[in-house]
Amino acid sequence: MKLETTKTIELPTTVHDVSLAANEDSMLWAACLDGGIHGVSLDSGDHFLLGRHRRYASGVHALPDGETVISAGYDGRLHWHDVKSRTCFREIQAHRFWSWQSALSPNGKWIASSTGQYLCGGYKYEPAPESEPSVKVYSTHTGDLVAAWSHVPPVQSVTFSRDGRYVAAGNLMGEVRVWEVESGKLQAQWATGDFTGWGIIKGHYYTGGVFSLAFGPGDDWIYLIGMGSTRDPAAGNGKQLWQAYRWRDGEVQKVSEAAGSDTGQGLMETLAFHPTDAWFLMAGRLESGQWNVGAFDRASGALQSSADFKGRICRALFLPGDEDERFLLAGGVSQGGPKEGRKFRDFGRIWLGTAGFKGDGAD
Amino acid sequence: MSILRKQLENPSSEEPVNCCGSPDHTIHRRRFLEGALASGALSTMSWSGLFSVPAFAEEVKRSQKRCILLWLCGGPSQFETWDPKPGTETGGPFGSIPTAIPGVHVSELMPRCASILDKLAVVRSMKTNQQEHFQAISLLNRGDNPRPPFTRPTLGSVLGQQLGQLDSPIPNFILLDPCPEGNEFKGFKAGNWAGWLGAEYAPVRVGGEFKIEDVDRLPGISEADHEEREALRRFLSKKFENETKSAAASSYNAVYERVKGLMSCAHLFDLDRLPAKDRERYGPGTFGQHALLARSLVEEGAPFVMVANGMPWDTHVFNHEVYQMVVPDLDNIVYQLVTDLEERGMAENTLLVVMGEFGRTPWINVKRGRDHYPNAWSLAMAGCGIQPGAVVGATDALGIDVVDRAVNEKNLFATIYQALGIDPYAEYDLPNLPTFHRVEERAEPIAEVLA
Repeated sequence: MKLETTKTIELPTTVHDVSLAANEDSMLWAACLDGGIHGVSLDSGDHFLLGRHRRYASGVHALPDGETVISAGYDGRLHWHDVKSRTCFREIQAHRFWSWQSALSPNGKWIASSTGQYLCGGYKYEPAPESEPSVKVYSTHTGDLVAAWSHVPPVQSVTFSRDGRYVAAGNLMGEVRVWEVESGKLQAQWATGDFTGWGIIKGHYYTGGVFSLAFGPGDDWIYLIGMGSTRDPAAGNGKQLWQAYRWRDGEVQKVSEAAGSDTGQGLMETLAFHPTDAWFLMAGRLESGQWNVGAFDRASGALQSSADFKGRICRALFLPGDEDERFLLAGGVSQGGPKEGRKFRDFGRIWLGTAGFKGDGAD
Repeated sequence: MSILRKQLENPSSEEPVNCCGSPDHTIHRRRFLEGALASGALSTMSWSGLFSVPAFAEEVKRSQKRCILLWLCGGPSQFETWDPKPGTETGGPFGSIPTAIPGVHVSELMPRCASILDKLAVVRSMKTNQQEHFQAISLLNRGDNPRPPFTRPTLGSVLGQQLGQLDSPIPNFILLDPCPEGNEFKGFKAGNWAGWLGAEYAPVRVGGEFKIEDVDRLPGISEADHEEREALRRFLSKKFENETKSAAASSYNAVYERVKGLMSCAHLFDLDRLPAKDRERYGPGTFGQHALLARSLVEEGAPFVMVANGMPWDTHVFNHEVYQMVVPDLDNIVYQLVTDLEERGMAENTLLVVMGEFGRTPWINVKRGRDHYPNAWSLAMAGCGIQPGAVVGATDALGIDVVDRAVNEKNLFATIYQALGIDPYAEYDLPNLPTFHRVEERAEPIAEVLA
């Protein structure tokens, strides 16, 4: 296995999330730092604006009908876009603060969004309790609120289980809660301090947390992604980290995690399983070490291959088709200072890549 | 004239108090103290002396000029505080909100300050020349670039000297900072704050794990006995200092004086003595609690209190993720301080300065952060000598450059000194040193900020 870049597409600003367009080959939707929801051709790299949030756009999801895209933003809103007319036909103020992350259920029926502002709640700057439900689920068809759940803000990550029955959400303090959507009942709750740093060196406050979650095959394990504890919140030099937890049947147990010998330092923001489930990609930013994209064997948890794509990666996914080793990474590079005429360079990036093999796992 | 009397009036006299150390020649401490008090030679004006007449003490406390510096170490982002650029390529994810001053907006993270902006003065056009922490911390604490080997005193040391009393029991320069670390700030904290003014004008550091320890009088020693011992120690030490012209002895004596003062005022540093309602208002974090403590200390006569909290504003990583918390915390603290100073009749005589060592870059780095930026940044002031509602200077649409009324550290220090009634351009009396002034080059104060 060898992770390689096959193509790079530039967008004006950092790409926080992408969603492959339904019913359209080589087309995706990108949620960007400028608030824009952009349609992007993976063939030509051309892009157009579908709609815009008033703040950063944080999530984008193409519904299976091929006609609707739902986006989320740091304005706390969910937008329903009609693809053909390129108009927004529904807006919901889901939260008073950011939509940190959003997720679409596998059948496209529900969209979940997480929120919460980190506010000082204690002498050591422990987070204050929430002032609104931190996780909400809406019907993608009607826009109606389906569920609203409590958590400790900020809740930075949210995902659906593969069967669509459950929603898991993780926060700054490394606490994960899992609910059943239909019943609304809390199914599991645990906390790990491994993803959270309390600043000893520069400031006494908390940073890090769970930045992404993913259910494994059979939904029995939940993978948490982020960065290990750091003493200096201004350094961003925690260990590149994933951990897997068995969560069902009322007993939560850590079952696997990234080996220290495999990882460097830097915030990891996304995890994507290969369609075979034999391996997965974890990606983010490299602070020190060798890579910002790592391919891990699911069974052993060992790093199989890695590469440095020289930027921040917010979202990884695999591209459909015969060549199932093709993947896509979305993110950006530094904005940098302005050039002539006060223009900033394009600093959003979509990297198309290949794992350099076909098949069922590590070579 | 007795030998004692002569010694008291002229500690450098050649006639010894005790030549050989024999107990026979030892002056009895009680007699010594009686003599000292009778002569008045040991007692210059002090707070403890002044405050023996309560009404007078209260009046002195009220009229004394003082200053609280909220030191936002690390360099706060102007975009997320006083100079927002919402909806632009540099603006970040936070919006702006209108303020009590029509047409002026601040970050949406500062609703409380927005409501009292007509009581603050904001400078949006700071332009300095140091991009690294240590140098910039020095620049914004000393008001000038270094000129080795000479060390210019910090603002706190100068104000401690100018506004304080040398033998005040409350330290003239108090630094409240709970963080023992802090990289460059840690290095600065370990350095020479007082410069050529001398160790007696260095800060007393309290906060978090930095507590005033070991200042309780031993149970076996009466107060009178303690006073006698201290008077004798002071006399002998001063004599030694004068005879040897020893800077080390001078510093040693300064430390002793400070400890003596701290023994009498240690209780003032106890957060638990402050009303629970006040503690709740200022917020539970260390910065808020120490800001409240600062208010209490200046009420008690401290001329200068610097409130720091490590370097939380240095957000090369997670700028917005951190600022969503620290800016609302600051917003509330500034609001509470300004309101309290006004309600307690202290605003006229208490200057509040809110600043760091520089601002942060308009552009976002790959770590979700903003980096150091001295080219165009903001600060705020309120209270003593300050024009309420002044908003001075401007940056361009993206916040990259100052486009109106660029000012620097010298202008700022001239403003602070003038606001507090201190001659900004006074020449230091420094024998055998080059000529130095409080503010060099007669840099103008920021006139629009001054009342």
